[in-house]
Amino acid sequence: MTIDWSLPFWPAATLLAYLLCRTVYRRWPGWYVSPLLTTPLILLAIAVGLHATYGEYLRGSHVLMAMVGPLTVAFALPIYDQRAVIRRHWLPLSLGVMAGSLIAIGSGYGLARLLDLAPELRQSLLPRSVTMPFAMNVSGHVGGLPELTAVFVMVTGIIGAAVGDILLKLLPLRSSMARGALFGMGAHGAGVAKAREVGAEEGSVAGLVMILAGLANVAVAPVVITALG
Amino acid sequence: MTAHRLPLRLKAFLRRSRLAQLALIVGVWALGDAVSRGLDLPVPGGIIGMALMLALLMAHGLGPASIRRGADVLLADMLLFFVPAVMGLLDHGEFIGLLGLKLLAAILCGTLLVMAGTALTVETVQRLMARAELRHDH
Repeated sequence: MTIDWSLPFWPAATLLAYLLCRTVYRRWPGWYVSPLLTTPLILLAIAVGLHATYGEYLRGSHVLMAMVGPLTVAFALPIYDQRAVIRRHWLPLSLGVMAGSLIAIGSGYGLARLLDLAPELRQSLLPRSVTMPFAMNVSGHVGGLPELTAVFVMVTGIIGAAVGDILLKLLPLRSSMARGALFGMGAHGAGVAKAREVGAEEGSVAGLVMILAGLANVAVAPVVITALG
Repeated sequence: MTAHRLPLRLKAFLRRSRLAQLALIVGVWALGDAVSRGLDLPVPGGIIGMALMLALLMAHGLGPASIRRGADVLLADMLLFFVPAVMGLLDHGEFIGLLGLKLLAAILCGTLLVMAGTALTVETVQRLMARAELRHDH
């Protein structure tokens, strides 16, 4: 009996590469060594070397991807923990999230038109500012390709964490809520990590805004995106 | 008597076991997924599961300690679960080149707009509310 080693190979490689990149990131934190950037780079290099296709990679690794569903459920806990902040600041937060989501979808659509991108690329680009589990859910529903959206979300997080600092210096922001919302809305998970470096309150607001943005997009994005065609 | 004590024992077990908490979270997701598929809803199962979990927490049907350890496992290493999706790049060699640069430009400009717009909105609303409160006090 022969054992198909390719089945456990990719999930094991993914786990090992992730653990390695996480260790490096904890030692020398910086947006350019985010595990979300370095882990796929290592795995892509291996896959290109082995002439593996995405289908082969996914055959064993879809188990990891399937955890995105339960991960979404786990987000109920941070929302519950932040319920006092939500109750106190619901107006500026919800207006900020609404403005951010509309700008994200509108700018994605406009820029894609301007740069003459194909419709499926454009639709995949629209939910990019939302944290991954929500974005992939939305993308599939509006005619985008979830795995393309995943790539755009990753790039958005890395770019957002990098340019957020510059924006903080340029914009006249006095409130820690505004500074936190900037990172949570613009760069989701990577932004939350960055906002924690700016301050504790910024970090928790960023985490909250990230989740609210995800929820808002799941509810509103399909309607807006379908209306845009 | 056993019927009365069993839920208590179950609760105590849940508080201790990270694996049981993970199983509970996966179970709630599976329920949400079944609802989403069964009723053919446009909302994905994960979101329905999250709403269900949040409702359980808010109604005190479930204490936060009953899922915290399990949820932390998923939340702390969430980047790991996104890696397989990013590997979709393997089938998109066309991104190396002009198209990739265009996409990067779109994402960079879009992200700057989103960040500035969101932060300025929150800041403006807060200032307006503070001013309204001040006027109210006088």
